[in-house]
Amino acid sequence: MSFSEDALVQRLRARDEAAMTLFYDKYSAALYGVILRIVKKEEIAEDVLQESLVKIWHSFASYDASKGRLFTWVLNVCRNLAIDKIRSRQYRVGSRTQTLEDSSAMRQAAPSGFRPEHIGLQEMTNKLSPEQKQVIDLLYFGGFTQSEVAEELDLPLGTVKTRARAGIKVLSKLIR
Amino acid sequence: MDTQDYIESGILEQYALGELTEVERAEVERQAAAHPAIQQELDTVMEALAAYAVQELPASAPPAGMRERVLEGWQAAIREQPAASSAPAQPEQEAVVRPMLTSHRDVADETTRINWMMAASVALLLLSVAGNILFYYQWKNAENDLAIALNGQQQMASTMQAVEKRLGQRSEEVAVLRNDEFRDVALKGTDNAPDASARVLFNPTTHTVYLDVRNLPTPPVGKQYQLWALDNGKPIDAGTLSQTTAQGDNLQLMNSIASAQAFAMTVEQIGGSPVPTLSTMAVMGQVL
Repeated sequence: MSFSEDALVQRLRARDEAAMTLFYDKYSAALYGVILRIVKKEEIAEDVLQESLVKIWHSFASYDASKGRLFTWVLNVCRNLAIDKIRSRQYRVGSRTQTLEDSSAMRQAAPSGFRPEHIGLQEMTNKLSPEQKQVIDLLYFGGFTQSEVAEELDLPLGTVKTRARAGIKVLSKLIR
Repeated sequence: MDTQDYIESGILEQYALGELTEVERAEVERQAAAHPAIQQELDTVMEALAAYAVQELPASAPPAGMRERVLEGWQAAIREQPAASSAPAQPEQEAVVRPMLTSHRDVADETTRINWMMAASVALLLLSVAGNILFYYQWKNAENDLAIALNGQQQMASTMQAVEKRLGQRSEEVAVLRNDEFRDVALKGTDNAPDASARVLFNPTTHTVYLDVRNLPTPPVGKQYQLWALDNGKPIDAGTLSQTTAQGDNLQLMNSIASAQAFAMTVEQIGGSPVPTLSTMAVMGQVL
Protein backbone atom coordinates (compact mmCIF):
# COMPACT_ATOMS: atom_id res chain seq x y z
CA MET A 1 0.00 0.00 0.00
CA SER A 2 1.47 3.28 -1.10
CA PHE A 3 -0.70 5.42 1.14
CA SER A 4 -0.93 5.74 4.85
CA GLU A 5 -3.99 5.04 6.95
CA ASP A 6 -3.94 8.69 8.12
CA ALA A 7 -4.14 9.96 4.55
CA LEU A 8 -7.01 7.59 3.84
CA VAL A 9 -8.85 8.74 6.95
CA GLN A 10 -8.38 12.38 5.97
CA ARG A 11 -9.71 11.78 2.46
CA LEU A 12 -12.70 9.83 3.77
CA ARG A 13 -13.38 12.60 6.26
CA ALA A 14 -13.31 15.04 3.31
CA ARG A 15 -16.01 12.92 1.58
CA ASP A 16 -13.60 11.90 -1.16
CA GLU A 17 -15.49 9.14 -2.96
CA ALA A 18 -12.37 7.94 -4.78
CA ALA A 19 -10.83 7.21 -1.40
CA MET A 20 -13.54 4.62 -0.85
CA THR A 21 -12.10 2.61 -3.74
CA LEU A 22 -8.68 2.67 -2.06
CA PHE A 23 -10.35 1.73 1.19
CA TYR A 24 -12.08 -1.16 -0.54
CA ASP A 25 -8.91 -2.44 -2.11
CA LYS A 26 -7.10 -2.31 1.18
CA TYR A 27 -9.66 -3.76 3.57
CA SER A 28 -12.46 -5.50 1.67
CA ALA A 29 -10.87 -8.96 1.61
CA ALA A 30 -10.50 -9.07 5.39
CA LEU A 31 -13.89 -7.47 6.01
CA TYR A 32 -15.60 -9.80 3.56
CA GLY A 33 -13.87 -12.77 5.14
CA VAL A 34 -15.11 -11.89 8.62
CA ILE A 35 -18.62 -11.14 7.37
CA LEU A 36 -18.76 -14.41 5.44
CA ARG A 37 -17.57 -16.25 8.55
CA ILE A 38 -20.53 -14.77 10.40
CA VAL A 39 -23.33 -14.96 7.79
CA LYS A 40 -22.07 -18.12 6.00
CA LYS A 41 -23.59 -17.20 2.63
CA GLU A 42 -21.62 -15.42 -0.06
CA GLU A 43 -24.45 -13.36 -1.53
CA ILE A 44 -25.51 -12.22 1.93
CA ALA A 45 -21.89 -11.45 2.84
CA GLU A 46 -21.65 -9.28 -0.25
CA ASP A 47 -24.85 -7.43 0.68
CA VAL A 48 -23.61 -6.89 4.22
CA LEU A 49 -20.27 -5.61 2.93
CA GLN A 50 -22.02 -3.08 0.72
CA GLU A 51 -24.35 -1.99 3.54
CA SER A 52 -21.28 -1.65 5.74
CA LEU A 53 -19.55 0.64 3.23
CA VAL A 54 -22.66 2.83 3.14
CA LYS A 55 -22.79 2.95 6.93
CA ILE A 56 -19.06 3.63 7.20
CA TRP A 57 -19.41 6.47 4.68
CA HIS A 58 -22.37 8.07 6.43
CA SER A 59 -21.11 7.66 9.99
CA PHE A 60 -17.47 8.33 9.30
CA ALA A 61 -17.58 11.48 11.40
CA SER A 62 -18.01 9.27 14.49
CA TYR A 63 -14.69 7.52 13.87
CA ASP A 64 -12.11 8.73 16.39
CA ALA A 65 -8.61 7.89 15.18
CA SER A 66 -7.22 8.41 18.69
CA LYS A 67 -9.26 5.46 19.97
CA GLY A 68 -8.01 2.84 17.58
CA ARG A 69 -7.11 1.87 14.10
CA LEU A 70 -9.45 2.51 11.20
CA PHE A 71 -9.61 -1.20 10.43
CA THR A 72 -10.72 -2.05 13.98
CA TRP A 73 -13.52 0.47 13.75
CA VAL A 74 -14.78 -0.59 10.32
CA LEU A 75 -14.48 -4.26 11.26
CA ASN A 76 -16.81 -3.61 14.19
CA VAL A 77 -19.27 -1.86 11.86
CA CYS A 78 -19.20 -4.89 9.54
CA ARG A 79 -19.45 -7.41 12.36
CA ASN A 80 -22.39 -5.57 13.95
CA LEU A 81 -24.30 -5.49 10.65
CA ALA A 82 -23.48 -9.15 9.96
CA ILE A 83 -24.68 -10.16 13.43
CA ASP A 84 -27.83 -8.03 13.00
CA LYS A 85 -28.39 -10.05 9.84
CA ILE A 86 -28.07 -13.48 11.45
CA ARG A 87 -30.09 -12.36 14.44
CA SER A 88 -32.99 -11.34 12.23
CA ARG A 89 -35.74 -13.90 12.66
CA GLN A 90 -35.78 -15.50 9.20
CA TYR A 91 -32.00 -15.99 9.28
CA ARG A 92 -31.95 -17.68 12.68
CA VAL A 93 -34.37 -20.42 11.71
CA GLY A 94 -32.32 -23.53 10.92
CA SER A 95 -28.98 -21.72 10.93
CA ARG A 96 -28.09 -21.83 14.56
CA THR A 97 -26.85 -25.38 14.91
CA GLN A 98 -24.83 -24.96 11.75
CA THR A 99 -22.85 -22.20 13.41
CA LEU A 100 -21.19 -24.61 15.80
CA GLU A 101 -20.30 -27.15 13.16
CA ASP A 102 -18.81 -24.60 10.80
CA SER A 103 -16.88 -22.55 13.29
CA SER A 104 -14.17 -25.19 13.83
CA ALA A 105 -14.02 -26.36 10.25
CA MET A 106 -13.39 -23.00 8.63
CA ARG A 107 -10.17 -21.92 10.28
CA GLN A 108 -7.59 -21.08 7.70
CA ALA A 109 -4.94 -18.52 6.95
CA ALA A 110 -5.91 -14.89 6.27
CA PRO A 111 -6.54 -14.09 2.61
CA SER A 112 -4.11 -11.91 0.74
CA GLY A 113 -4.80 -8.19 0.55
CA PHE A 114 -4.71 -7.49 4.23
CA ARG A 115 -2.10 -8.63 6.70
CA PRO A 116 -2.51 -7.72 10.35
CA GLU A 117 0.37 -5.52 11.30
CA HIS A 118 1.16 -7.57 14.42
CA ILE A 119 3.98 -10.01 14.50
CA GLY A 120 3.32 -13.61 15.33
CA LEU A 121 -0.43 -13.44 14.94
CA GLN A 122 -0.41 -16.58 12.89
CA GLU A 123 0.17 -18.34 16.18
CA MET A 124 -2.81 -16.74 17.87
CA THR A 125 -5.11 -19.64 17.38
CA ASN A 126 -2.62 -22.01 18.91
CA LYS A 127 -2.19 -19.89 22.03
CA LEU A 128 -5.83 -20.29 22.97
CA SER A 129 -7.05 -23.40 24.69
CA PRO A 130 -9.75 -25.25 22.68
CA GLU A 131 -12.30 -24.27 25.38
CA GLN A 132 -11.34 -20.56 25.15
CA LYS A 133 -11.36 -20.71 21.39
CA GLN A 134 -14.79 -22.34 21.28
CA VAL A 135 -16.27 -19.65 23.53
CA ILE A 136 -14.62 -16.75 21.68
CA ASP A 137 -15.69 -18.07 18.28
CA LEU A 138 -19.29 -18.36 19.44
CA LEU A 139 -19.17 -14.89 20.90
CA TYR A 140 -17.40 -13.22 18.02
CA PHE A 141 -18.56 -15.04 14.89
CA GLY A 142 -21.76 -16.59 16.17
CA GLY A 143 -23.18 -13.40 17.56
CA PHE A 144 -24.04 -15.18 20.79
CA THR A 145 -24.27 -13.42 24.12
CA GLN A 146 -22.37 -15.03 27.01
CA SER A 147 -25.68 -16.29 28.41
CA GLU A 148 -26.52 -17.89 25.08
CA VAL A 149 -23.09 -19.52 24.92
CA ALA A 150 -23.64 -20.92 28.40
CA GLU A 151 -26.97 -22.31 27.30
CA GLU A 152 -25.54 -23.63 24.04
CA LEU A 153 -22.58 -25.38 25.68
CA ASP A 154 -24.55 -26.30 28.77
CA LEU A 155 -22.02 -24.52 31.00
CA PRO A 156 -22.48 -22.17 33.96
CA LEU A 157 -22.48 -18.52 32.87
CA GLY A 158 -19.50 -17.87 35.17
CA THR A 159 -17.40 -20.46 33.39
CA VAL A 160 -18.22 -18.91 30.01
CA LYS A 161 -17.27 -15.45 31.31
CA THR A 162 -14.00 -16.73 32.72
CA ARG A 163 -13.06 -18.54 29.51
CA ALA A 164 -13.94 -15.53 27.39
CA ARG A 165 -11.95 -13.10 29.50
CA ALA A 166 -8.97 -15.47 29.75
CA GLY A 167 -8.95 -15.99 25.99
CA ILE A 168 -9.15 -12.30 25.18
CA LYS A 169 -6.36 -11.67 27.68
CA VAL A 170 -4.15 -14.09 25.83
CA LEU A 171 -4.91 -12.33 22.54
CA SER A 172 -4.30 -8.93 24.12
CA LYS A 173 -0.89 -10.02 25.32
CA LEU A 174 0.00 -11.18 21.85
CA ILE A 175 -0.64 -7.78 20.26
CA ARG A 176 0.80 -5.65 23.02
CA MET B 1 -14.43 3.09 41.69
CA ASP B 2 -11.20 1.20 41.24
CA THR B 3 -10.04 1.28 37.62
CA GLN B 4 -8.51 -2.17 37.77
CA ASP B 5 -11.71 -3.68 39.20
CA TYR B 6 -13.62 -2.11 36.37
CA ILE B 7 -11.23 -3.58 33.81
CA GLU B 8 -11.34 -7.00 35.51
CA SER B 9 -15.17 -6.98 35.61
CA GLY B 10 -15.25 -8.21 32.00
CA ILE B 11 -17.47 -5.38 30.85
CA LEU B 12 -14.87 -4.18 28.32
CA GLU B 13 -14.93 -7.59 26.59
CA GLN B 14 -18.71 -7.42 26.51
CA TYR B 15 -18.43 -3.96 25.02
CA ALA B 16 -15.95 -5.17 22.40
CA LEU B 17 -18.22 -8.09 21.50
CA GLY B 18 -21.23 -5.79 21.20
CA GLU B 19 -23.20 -7.42 23.99
CA LEU B 20 -24.09 -4.24 25.87
CA THR B 21 -27.17 -2.09 25.66
CA GLU B 22 -27.01 1.49 24.45
CA VAL B 23 -27.00 2.82 28.03
CA GLU B 24 -24.31 0.38 29.15
CA ARG B 25 -22.16 1.25 26.13
CA ALA B 26 -22.46 4.97 26.90
CA GLU B 27 -21.34 4.29 30.48
CA VAL B 28 -18.29 2.32 29.29
CA GLU B 29 -17.37 5.12 26.89
CA ARG B 30 -17.77 7.65 29.69
CA GLN B 31 -15.46 5.62 31.96
CA ALA B 32 -12.95 5.16 29.15
CA ALA B 33 -12.91 8.88 28.48
CA ALA B 34 -12.39 9.59 32.16
CA HIS B 35 -9.71 6.94 32.78
CA PRO B 36 -6.89 6.52 30.24
CA ALA B 37 -6.12 3.07 31.65
CA ILE B 38 -9.65 1.93 30.86
CA GLN B 39 -9.46 3.50 27.39
CA GLN B 40 -6.18 1.76 26.73
CA GLU B 41 -7.46 -1.60 27.92
CA LEU B 42 -10.62 -1.20 25.84
CA ASP B 43 -8.59 -0.35 22.72
CA THR B 44 -6.36 -3.37 23.35
CA VAL B 45 -9.33 -5.72 23.71
CA MET B 46 -10.85 -4.38 20.47
CA GLU B 47 -7.59 -4.68 18.58
CA ALA B 48 -7.00 -8.19 19.93
CA LEU B 49 -10.43 -9.37 18.81
CA ALA B 50 -9.99 -7.75 15.40
CA ALA B 51 -6.63 -9.40 14.97
CA TYR B 52 -8.06 -12.74 16.01
CA ALA B 53 -11.02 -12.35 13.68
CA VAL B 54 -8.76 -11.71 10.70
CA GLN B 55 -6.53 -14.56 11.76
CA GLU B 56 -9.49 -16.89 11.74
CA LEU B 57 -10.59 -16.21 8.21
CA PRO B 58 -11.58 -18.88 5.70
CA ALA B 59 -9.45 -18.83 2.55
CA SER B 60 -12.33 -18.47 0.11
CA ALA B 61 -11.72 -15.89 -2.61
CA PRO B 62 -14.34 -13.15 -3.05
CA PRO B 63 -16.94 -13.91 -5.73
CA ALA B 64 -16.15 -12.67 -9.24
CA GLY B 65 -17.18 -9.10 -9.93
CA MET B 66 -17.90 -8.40 -6.28
CA ARG B 67 -15.66 -5.33 -6.23
CA GLU B 68 -17.60 -3.59 -8.99
CA ARG B 69 -20.98 -4.65 -7.65
CA VAL B 70 -20.26 -3.54 -4.09
CA LEU B 71 -18.64 -0.24 -5.05
CA GLU B 72 -21.42 0.58 -7.52
CA GLY B 73 -24.05 -0.44 -4.99
CA TRP B 74 -22.38 1.71 -2.39
CA GLN B 75 -22.26 4.68 -4.75
CA ALA B 76 -25.90 4.24 -5.75
CA ALA B 77 -26.84 4.01 -2.07
CA ILE B 78 -25.02 7.17 -1.02
CA ARG B 79 -26.45 9.01 -4.04
CA GLU B 80 -29.90 7.82 -3.05
CA GLN B 81 -29.69 8.99 0.53
CA PRO B 82 -26.76 11.39 0.96
CA ALA B 83 -25.71 12.16 4.54
CA ALA B 84 -28.44 9.95 5.96
CA SER B 85 -26.86 9.96 9.40
CA SER B 86 -26.62 13.74 9.73
CA ALA B 87 -30.02 14.65 8.30
CA PRO B 88 -32.01 11.55 7.53
CA ALA B 89 -35.40 13.18 7.01
CA GLN B 90 -34.42 15.67 4.34
CA PRO B 91 -32.87 13.41 1.70
CA GLU B 92 -35.51 10.77 2.21
CA GLN B 93 -38.24 13.33 1.78
CA GLU B 94 -36.49 14.58 -1.29
CA ALA B 95 -36.18 11.12 -2.76
CA VAL B 96 -39.85 10.37 -2.17
CA VAL B 97 -41.17 13.76 -3.14
CA ARG B 98 -39.11 14.34 -6.25
CA PRO B 99 -40.73 11.67 -8.46
CA MET B 100 -44.16 12.71 -7.19
CA LEU B 101 -43.42 16.32 -8.07
CA THR B 102 -42.36 15.38 -11.56
CA SER B 103 -45.37 13.14 -11.94
CA HIS B 104 -47.58 15.96 -10.72
CA ARG B 105 -45.90 18.25 -13.16
CA ASP B 106 -46.44 15.65 -15.87
CA VAL B 107 -50.11 15.52 -14.99
CA ALA B 108 -50.24 19.31 -14.92
CA ASP B 109 -48.46 19.43 -18.26
CA GLU B 110 -50.89 16.89 -19.62
CA THR B 111 -53.86 18.87 -18.29
CA THR B 112 -52.43 22.08 -19.69
CA ARG B 113 -51.91 20.41 -23.02
CA ILE B 114 -55.46 19.04 -23.09
CA ASN B 115 -56.80 22.47 -22.06
CA TRP B 116 -54.77 24.04 -24.82
CA MET B 117 -56.01 21.50 -27.32
CA MET B 118 -59.60 22.03 -26.23
CA ALA B 119 -59.22 25.80 -26.38
CA ALA B 120 -57.67 25.45 -29.83
CA SER B 121 -60.51 23.15 -30.94
CA VAL B 122 -63.17 25.58 -29.69
CA ALA B 123 -61.36 28.50 -31.32
CA LEU B 124 -61.14 26.58 -34.59
CA LEU B 125 -64.81 25.64 -34.38
CA LEU B 126 -65.83 29.25 -33.74
CA LEU B 127 -63.62 30.41 -36.58
CA SER B 128 -65.14 27.80 -38.84
CA VAL B 129 -68.69 28.79 -37.87
CA ALA B 130 -67.88 32.48 -38.35
CA GLY B 131 -66.27 31.65 -41.67
CA ASN B 132 -69.32 29.66 -42.76
CA ILE B 133 -71.67 32.50 -41.81
CA LEU B 134 -69.47 34.94 -43.68
CA PHE B 135 -69.30 32.71 -46.71
CA TYR B 136 -73.08 32.11 -46.55
CA TYR B 137 -73.77 35.86 -46.62
CA GLN B 138 -71.22 36.41 -49.31
CA TRP B 139 -72.81 33.62 -51.32
CA LYS B 140 -76.26 35.13 -50.74
CA ASN B 141 -74.98 38.54 -51.79
CA ALA B 142 -73.37 37.04 -54.84
CA GLU B 143 -76.64 35.32 -55.69
CA ASN B 144 -78.46 38.66 -55.34
CA ASP B 145 -75.82 40.42 -57.38
CA LEU B 146 -76.05 37.73 -60.00
CA ALA B 147 -79.86 38.08 -60.12
CA ILE B 148 -79.50 41.85 -60.42
CA ALA B 149 -76.87 41.42 -63.10
CA LEU B 150 -79.00 38.92 -64.99
CA ASN B 151 -81.98 41.26 -64.65
CA GLY B 152 -79.91 44.17 -65.87
CA GLN B 153 -78.64 42.08 -68.74
CA GLN B 154 -82.19 41.13 -69.61
CA GLN B 155 -83.26 44.78 -69.48
CA MET B 156 -80.30 45.66 -71.58
CA ALA B 157 -81.15 42.94 -74.04
CA SER B 158 -84.75 44.05 -74.33
CA THR B 159 -83.62 47.63 -74.63
CA MET B 160 -81.22 46.54 -77.32
CA GLN B 161 -84.00 44.64 -78.97
CA ALA B 162 -86.24 47.72 -78.85
CA VAL B 163 -83.45 49.89 -80.13
CA GLU B 164 -82.67 47.40 -82.89
CA LYS B 165 -86.31 47.22 -83.75
CA ARG B 166 -86.57 51.00 -83.90
CA LEU B 167 -83.30 51.15 -85.80
CA GLY B 168 -84.67 48.65 -88.28
CA GLN B 169 -87.83 50.71 -88.49
CA ARG B 170 -85.87 53.89 -89.01
CA SER B 171 -83.70 52.23 -91.63
CA GLU B 172 -86.86 51.11 -93.36
CA GLU B 173 -88.31 54.61 -93.07
CA VAL B 174 -85.11 56.10 -94.41
CA ALA B 175 -85.18 53.59 -97.26
CA VAL B 176 -88.82 54.57 -97.97
CA LEU B 177 -88.03 58.27 -97.81
CA ARG B 178 -85.05 57.87 -100.10
CA ASN B 179 -86.96 55.66 -102.54
CA ASP B 180 -87.94 57.62 -105.66
CA GLU B 181 -90.80 55.24 -106.43
CA PHE B 182 -92.83 56.65 -103.55
CA ARG B 183 -95.24 59.46 -104.31
CA ASP B 184 -95.46 62.14 -101.68
CA VAL B 185 -99.10 62.93 -100.91
CA ALA B 186 -99.56 65.93 -98.58
CA LEU B 187 -102.70 65.73 -96.41
CA LYS B 188 -103.97 69.12 -95.20
CA GLY B 189 -106.22 69.91 -92.24
CA THR B 190 -109.93 70.34 -92.80
CA ASP B 191 -112.22 72.71 -90.92
CA ASN B 192 -112.46 70.07 -88.20
CA ALA B 193 -108.68 70.33 -87.56
CA PRO B 194 -107.19 73.32 -89.37
CA ASP B 195 -103.66 72.76 -87.86
CA ALA B 196 -103.60 69.07 -88.75
CA SER B 197 -101.00 67.97 -91.24
CA ALA B 198 -99.73 64.59 -92.52
CA ARG B 199 -98.50 62.95 -95.67
CA VAL B 200 -98.80 59.57 -97.35
CA LEU B 201 -95.96 57.87 -99.21
CA PHE B 202 -97.54 55.78 -101.88
CA ASN B 203 -95.76 53.38 -104.24
CA PRO B 204 -98.15 52.63 -107.10
CA THR B 205 -95.88 49.85 -108.37
CA THR B 206 -95.70 47.87 -105.14
CA HIS B 207 -98.99 49.22 -103.78
CA THR B 208 -97.22 50.07 -100.58
CA VAL B 209 -98.57 52.87 -98.42
CA TYR B 210 -96.71 54.62 -95.54
CA LEU B 211 -98.20 57.29 -93.33
CA ASP B 212 -96.17 60.11 -91.83
CA VAL B 213 -98.04 62.30 -89.33
CA ARG B 214 -96.80 65.85 -88.78
CA ASN B 215 -99.50 67.10 -86.49
CA LEU B 216 -102.84 65.65 -85.45
CA PRO B 217 -105.15 66.66 -82.61
CA THR B 218 -105.47 64.00 -79.90
CA PRO B 219 -108.58 61.93 -80.76
CA PRO B 220 -111.49 61.78 -78.22
CA VAL B 221 -111.50 58.91 -75.71
CA GLY B 222 -112.47 55.64 -77.35
CA LYS B 223 -111.69 56.93 -80.84
CA GLN B 224 -108.70 56.59 -83.22
CA TYR B 225 -107.72 57.87 -86.66
CA GLN B 226 -108.32 55.73 -89.76
CA LEU B 227 -106.76 56.24 -93.23
CA TRP B 228 -108.79 55.91 -96.35
CA ALA B 229 -107.77 55.70 -99.97
CA LEU B 230 -110.16 57.17 -102.48
CA ASP B 231 -110.15 55.31 -105.77
CA ASN B 232 -112.49 56.82 -108.27
CA GLY B 233 -114.49 58.42 -105.46
CA LYS B 234 -114.81 55.18 -103.53
CA PRO B 235 -113.26 55.00 -100.04
CA ILE B 236 -110.99 52.00 -99.34
CA ASP B 237 -109.83 51.14 -95.78
CA ALA B 238 -106.10 51.69 -95.53
CA GLY B 239 -105.91 50.78 -91.78
CA THR B 240 -106.09 52.50 -88.40
CA LEU B 241 -103.26 54.60 -87.03
CA SER B 242 -101.26 53.33 -84.03
CA GLN B 243 -100.84 55.76 -81.15
CA THR B 244 -97.19 56.38 -81.96
CA THR B 245 -98.04 57.08 -85.58
CA ALA B 246 -100.80 59.49 -84.55
CA GLN B 247 -98.24 61.30 -82.32
CA GLY B 248 -95.90 61.60 -85.26
CA ASP B 249 -93.17 59.34 -83.89
CA ASN B 250 -92.74 57.10 -86.90
CA LEU B 251 -93.78 56.10 -90.38
CA GLN B 252 -96.50 53.43 -90.37
CA LEU B 253 -96.90 50.82 -93.06
CA MET B 254 -100.56 50.88 -93.96
CA ASN B 255 -102.76 48.44 -95.94
CA SER B 256 -101.80 47.88 -99.55
CA ILE B 257 -103.67 50.03 -101.94
CA ALA B 258 -103.84 49.06 -105.60
CA SER B 259 -104.89 52.40 -106.94
CA ALA B 260 -105.80 55.77 -105.37
CA GLN B 261 -106.18 59.37 -106.41
CA ALA B 262 -106.62 60.82 -102.95
CA PHE B 263 -106.15 59.93 -99.22
CA ALA B 264 -108.12 61.07 -96.21
CA MET B 265 -108.29 60.44 -92.45
CA THR B 266 -111.37 60.26 -90.28
CA VAL B 267 -111.95 59.72 -86.56
CA GLU B 268 -113.59 56.33 -85.98
CA GLN B 269 -114.38 53.83 -83.20
CA ILE B 270 -111.35 51.93 -81.85
CA GLY B 271 -110.73 49.09 -84.26
CA GLY B 272 -111.82 51.04 -87.28
CA SER B 273 -114.93 51.27 -89.35
CA PRO B 274 -115.91 49.67 -92.69
CA VAL B 275 -117.12 53.00 -93.99
CA PRO B 276 -115.72 56.44 -93.22
CA THR B 277 -117.63 58.90 -91.06
CA LEU B 278 -117.21 61.87 -93.33
CA SER B 279 -118.28 64.40 -90.64
CA THR B 280 -115.10 63.61 -88.65
CA MET B 281 -112.62 63.97 -91.56
CA ALA B 282 -109.44 65.61 -90.24
CA VAL B 283 -107.07 65.73 -93.25
CA MET B 284 -107.27 65.13 -96.99
CA GLY B 285 -104.94 65.37 -100.02
CA GLN B 286 -104.77 64.52 -103.67
CA VAL B 287 -102.21 62.20 -105.29
CA LEU B 288 -100.51 64.52 -107.71
